[in-house]
Amino acid sequence: MENLLAKSPETRTLPNGPATATPVLRLTDIEKIYQTKTIETVALNRVNMTINRGEFVSIMGPSGCGKSTLLSLMGLLDEPTSGTIEIDGRAVQSFSDRELAGLRNLKIGFVFQSYHLINDLAVLDNVELPLLYRSGMSGKERRQRALNALDKVGLSARTTHFPSQLSGGQRQRVAIARALVGGPEIILADEPTGNLDSVMGEEIMALLLDLNRNEGTTIVMVTHDEQQARKTQRLIRLFDGSQVG
Amino acid sequence: MLRHLFTLIWNRKRANALLIAEIFFAFVVLFVLGSLLVDSYRRYTMPLGYQYEQVWYVAMDPGNEPAARQDATFLRVIRSLKALPGVRSVSTTLYNTPFSFSDSSGDIKVNGRNANCDRYAGGDDMADVLQLQLAEGRWFDRRDDAATRKPVVISSETRAALFPAGPALGQIITSTNTTDGEMQVVGVLATTYRSRGEFQKPKPAYFRRSQPLLADADTTHLDKPLLLVRVQPTATAELEQRMTKEIAAVSGGWKAAVTTLPEERTIRMKFALAPMGAMGLVGLFLIINVALGLFGVLWQTINQRRAEIGVRRAMGATAGRISAQILGETLVVTTFGLGLGLVVAAQFPLLGVMDMKTGVYLTAMLLATGLIYALTTLCALYPSRLAAGIHPAVALREE
Ligand SMILES: Nc1ncnc2c1ncn2[C@@H]1O[C@H](COP(=O)(O)OP(=O)(O)OP(=O)(O)O)[C@@H](O)[C@H]1O
Ligand SMILES: [Mg+2]
Repeated sequence: MENLLAKSPETRTLPNGPATATPVLRLTDIEKIYQTKTIETVALNRVNMTINRGEFVSIMGPSGCGKSTLLSLMGLLDEPTSGTIEIDGRAVQSFSDRELAGLRNLKIGFVFQSYHLINDLAVLDNVELPLLYRSGMSGKERRQRALNALDKVGLSARTTHFPSQLSGGQRQRVAIARALVGGPEIILADEPTGNLDSVMGEEIMALLLDLNRNEGTTIVMVTHDEQQARKTQRLIRLFDGSQVG
Repeated sequence: MLRHLFTLIWNRKRANALLIAEIFFAFVVLFVLGSLLVDSYRRYTMPLGYQYEQVWYVAMDPGNEPAARQDATFLRVIRSLKALPGVRSVSTTLYNTPFSFSDSSGDIKVNGRNANCDRYAGGDDMADVLQLQLAEGRWFDRRDDAATRKPVVISSETRAALFPAGPALGQIITSTNTTDGEMQVVGVLATTYRSRGEFQKPKPAYFRRSQPLLADADTTHLDKPLLLVRVQPTATAELEQRMTKEIAAVSGGWKAAVTTLPEERTIRMKFALAPMGAMGLVGLFLIINVALGLFGVLWQTINQRRAEIGVRRAMGATAGRISAQILGETLVVTTFGLGLGLVVAAQFPLLGVMDMKTGVYLTAMLLATGLIYALTTLCALYPSRLAAGIHPAVALREE
C-alpha cells in the first residue's frame, strides 16, 4: 500500500518540457456490460487506450455512448466486465477496497457531470472532504489547503455558503476545487462545463488548462464542445461504446 | 473526523432533532421504569428481619364455644401443640402475620420526635418462632409478668427514628394506638421488620407483648385465635393433619386452618410481581417501538444519502469508513438525546420526585444509558453495513 502510493520515480511532464511518454492509465480490451432484467447494454466494447503522464485528453461522443462509464472505470469507481485497468503499470483488479480507496484519494480527482456536492456541508467542508480521508493531516492544514483550492477557482468569498445558495457555475467551481485540493496526479472531469454558459465554460476550461500546464496534472475530460476539445492535446471519440478515433 | 461528524450533524439538525427527541423520551421512560425496578430489587435484597421457613400459620375458629371459656381452651391448645413431636415453638400473634395482607400502625412520639410505626404483637416464643435477632436488651419473658409498664421491643428503624443518639433501653414511649398506650423499651431488634414481604419499603415497627387471652384488647375485634408455629425441618404434611386433629380434640371442636409462611409468601410475591411484570412489558414494548422507529429512520436516511455516500467513496473513503461514519453519527445523536434525558433524570434525586435513594437513580441512569446505547448501536449496525455496501458508480449515477 505504502510503496504503491509513493510518488513514481519518473518525472512529470514539465511545462514546455520534453514529453516523456509515461503511461499513468492503461485500459486494455475493456468491456462494460450493464445487465438489467430485460436488456443487456454494452456500454463499452473492446476499448483500448493509454493516458500518459501530463496529457490533457478529451473524450467526445454522442449521449449514451459510454463516456461517463469510461470515466468511472478510470476513476476506479467501477469494475469492467472484462479487460484490465492499470495505474502506473499495476493492474487494479486484484486491489483491495482499502487500496482502491487510497488510490482514489491520493492519485485521482473527480469532477462529476452533475457536481455532486454534499448539500449538508458548507463550501469549505465540501472542498476539505478528500483530505478528511487522508491520515495524519491536521485540521488546520486541511483548512488551509481547502482555502487555497477555493482561491484558485475564485470562490474565496463563498466558503461558508451551502451548495443550494450557489449558482451552477459556482457549484462546478467548488467541485473542481474539491477535485484539485488533494493535489492529484490525474483529474477526471465529466462534462465540467456542460451546465454552464460559454463565458463560465471558458473560465473553467482555462482553469483546467492552467492546472495541466503549470502543475503537470494529467487531465481526462469528457466534453460536447468541439472548441474546447481542440484546446486539448488529444481527442478520443467514442461511438456506441467503441473508439472511433 | 469527529469535528466533521459534529458539523454534519449540526447541519442536518432538523433531521436529527426527531431522533434526538425519540431517544430523549425513550430514555426518560426507561429511567423511570428502571428506577422503580432497581428500587424493587434493592428492597428485595434487604433483610426481612425474620425467618419464614418451617413456620406455620394456624387460624382457629372457636365455633359456638361461649367467650368466657375460650381463653382456657386456647391455653390448652397452645400447651398441647408445644408437646407435639415435630413442633419446636408456638407463639400467639396479632393478625398482621408475615406476608398477610393485614396492617396495623400507630404513631409514637417521644422527646419531640415522631415515628409512624407498624405495630405487631407477639408471645414470649415469637423470637424463636420467627428467629428475631436482638441488638440490645431482650425479647419478652416471664419477667414481664410483674412489670408495671407494658414492655415493647422496637425495630432498628424505630430506634434510629426515636433515639438516634441516646440509649433506647428503658425509655418510655407512648403510642397513639390506645390499646398499646404507654410502653417501656426492653429490647431493640438488630434489623428492620418487614411483614409485608420482600418488596415492602422499610418502616419503623414495634412489638407489644401479647397474652394468650382473647380478652387481650387486640383480639376483641378479631374473632379468631391465631398462632405462629415453628416446626422441625423434618416436618411433613402429616404433622399438619395431626395438628388439626389435636386442636379439634383438645378444644372440643375448634376448627383449624394451617398454612405455611412460604405458601403465604408465594401469594404475596405474585401480587407484588404482577405490576412489575406489567412495567417490564411496557418497557419492552417501548424498546421494540423505539428500535423499529430508529431502524426505519436510519434506513431512510441511508437511502436519501446514497449520492453523498457515493461521493465520499469516490473521494477515498473505504467501505469501513462509511459504516463507521453512520455508526458514529448515530452515537453522537444518541449522546445528545441522552444528555437531555440525563438533565431531566438528575432532577429526580435533586427534587426527591419518587422518594428513592440517590444510588437507585444513579443505577437506573446507568442502566437506561447502557440500554439506549446498545439499542441504537444495534439499530445502526445494519443500515451502516448497507451504506458501506453502496456502489459508488451506481449511487453517483442516480439523481
Ligand atoms: N447502471 C446502469 N444500468 C444499465 N445501463 C446503464 C447503466 N449505466 C449506464 N448504462 C447505459 O450505458 C450506456 C452508456 O452510459 P453513459 O452514462 O456512460 O453514457 P454517456 O456517454 O456518459 O452519456 P451522456 O453524454 O448522456 O452523459 C447508456 O446506454 C446507458 O443507458
Ligand atoms: Mg455521461
